[in-house]
Amino acid sequence: MMDRAWRMTVEVFRAPFTRRAWRELAYCTLGAVTGAAGFVVVVAILVPALIISASIVGTVLGLLMVVFALRFARLLGELHRRLSRMVGGERISAPPLQSAAGLLGRLDRRLRDREGWRAVGYAEVKLPVAIVQWYAVVATGIGLMDCSYPLVWLLFRNHPAGTRLSPLQAVVPVPYGHLAISTWPGTFAAALIGAASVLAGVWLARGITVVDRRLVRALLGPSRVSELERTRALVVEDSAMTLRRVERDLHDGAQVRLAAIALNLGMAQEKTRDTTVLDLLHAAQTGVAEALADLRRIARGIHPPVLDAGLADALASLAAASPVPVTVAVDLPARPSPAIEGIAYFCVAELLTNAIKHSAASRIEIKSYTERMWLLLRVTDDGRGGAEITGGDGLAGLRERASTVDGSLRLSSPPGGPTVVEVELPMSVYGGDR
Amino acid sequence: MRVVIAEDAAVLREGLSRLLADRGHEVCAAVESGEALLAAVAEQEPDVVIADIRMPPTHTDEGLLAALDIRRDYPFVGVLLFSQYIETRYTARLLKSGAGGVGYLLKDRVANVAEFVSALERVAAGGTALDPEVIAQLLRRPDPGLASLTPREREVLGLMAEGRSNAGIAAALVLSGGAVEKHIASIFSKLALEPQGADNRRVLAVLRYLEP
Repeated sequence: MMDRAWRMTVEVFRAPFTRRAWRELAYCTLGAVTGAAGFVVVVAILVPALIISASIVGTVLGLLMVVFALRFARLLGELHRRLSRMVGGERISAPPLQSAAGLLGRLDRRLRDREGWRAVGYAEVKLPVAIVQWYAVVATGIGLMDCSYPLVWLLFRNHPAGTRLSPLQAVVPVPYGHLAISTWPGTFAAALIGAASVLAGVWLARGITVVDRRLVRALLGPSRVSELERTRALVVEDSAMTLRRVERDLHDGAQVRLAAIALNLGMAQEKTRDTTVLDLLHAAQTGVAEALADLRRIARGIHPPVLDAGLADALASLAAASPVPVTVAVDLPARPSPAIEGIAYFCVAELLTNAIKHSAASRIEIKSYTERMWLLLRVTDDGRGGAEITGGDGLAGLRERASTVDGSLRLSSPPGGPTVVEVELPMSVYGGDR
Repeated sequence: MRVVIAEDAAVLREGLSRLLADRGHEVCAAVESGEALLAAVAEQEPDVVIADIRMPPTHTDEGLLAALDIRRDYPFVGVLLFSQYIETRYTARLLKSGAGGVGYLLKDRVANVAEFVSALERVAAGGTALDPEVIAQLLRRPDPGLASLTPREREVLGLMAEGRSNAGIAAALVLSGGAVEKHIASIFSKLALEPQGADNRRVLAVLRYLEP
């Protein structure tokens, strides 16, 4: 027990002589400057921006200024992330900046930049932190000065006895903390106060650094939500890849082997006239043909091969297999990511099946196009209408499926038709764009 | 027949080679990629090519692309696509390359050796061999081309579907042989059927007519 108290005491007094303490003080010095300056700039842009944007005329200018402030706060955040690495802060990756198409789309995306607003939040709470950091630096600096007084006295005040000198001013970093010293022994009192001041400064620097590092991690790192979005995107794309691989393995494995068996059975049939053997071979061939048909059906459900050629071909292929005439119009300037293509394909497949089975449609129309980096699929039929999204039916399932990638499904189906289902999906899994 | 086989699964490549050799045909090359297929065709100028659709490196549609190249550069070489699945889009692209000397069969069809070999012979001779599955899909295909036909042209197409000759159609509609030929030419052009082998164009035109 005594031992531990002793060790702690040693630790307290040893701190000013460690490299860590001086790194933390350097960090506090830089952080105090950048923090205060950053706060001033962010507030100086943001406050007028918000005031201007409240007026009708200034809305656009004000919003552009807000966007600018957000970008500035992000840059400031980057600076503070780097600084915090100086004091052993872990490497925090910058939150991704999301992009969007079109001027309005970009403006909207920028204004809803969650990470940017968090960086603004950091710039705000950094002000009190910067004040404390500055105080720690000043306390240490003044303390060091006070500590030097006995030496200063000996070097510069070594006058003959009786000389009248103005007293040395020792500064103590508290209000009214002045101490006038007129004698050499008095300088030791100043040195003692200085030492205490250095200790206080060093430990204050350590404390505020810990607080600041937590703030950096909490406000400047990727948020929980953006982490989840990122990992979800990985999972969704990865499962699309897995499905594709499974389909390929089936194609190159079991299907090839069965086809080879069919070929050998065929050749065997050519070599015999024995009707019993022929019957058996025939039965075996029928079995192989059924197995191949089964595998084809399964493979198509896992990853239709035509998807490799793109959504346009895949949707046209769905349309071609429909007993009801289907027109397809696809206008996609870029290919969506594989996972999105897969979801889009299976959504349209299900919607077609619904229209054919339940709506007695005579014409179906599939449209697919992009709007502001979103993939839109619209399936219209001229059937009897009256479709509803109820729990557990196909449409509810599709809506679920679309929502796994932040997509949505809208249904309009008045009694008597027409039924229009619109599915909106991001072009790739990361929140509309990447 | 001189045959080039392109198939990335060794077991099928060898099986097909043996099957064809058994029947007295010459397999002059058996390769496993689209690129090697093109090289083999350039070197061997075979009567017919059997091409898998999915081959290295991308395992998507190399075989189809190679087949289309062969159709363009060596129109006298028959091309039989040989695949695990029938894809309507691929069928459409293959048939657009010209109706004669093409085929598209499921790999399952090798089970009936006699039929498979006769289909291959038909393709080598400039005919067509479409899998029953292909026909089933074509029959379901809505086509704006049909809508552009005049009522008389539809009548002519209907009679073609029944299997009547030009003379038979002329008799049924009380037209001259020349008029029937003109209608047929107009049907071909409206359905965008390239002038290659009149018999195959007839077949294709009829296939379209048979759609719902």
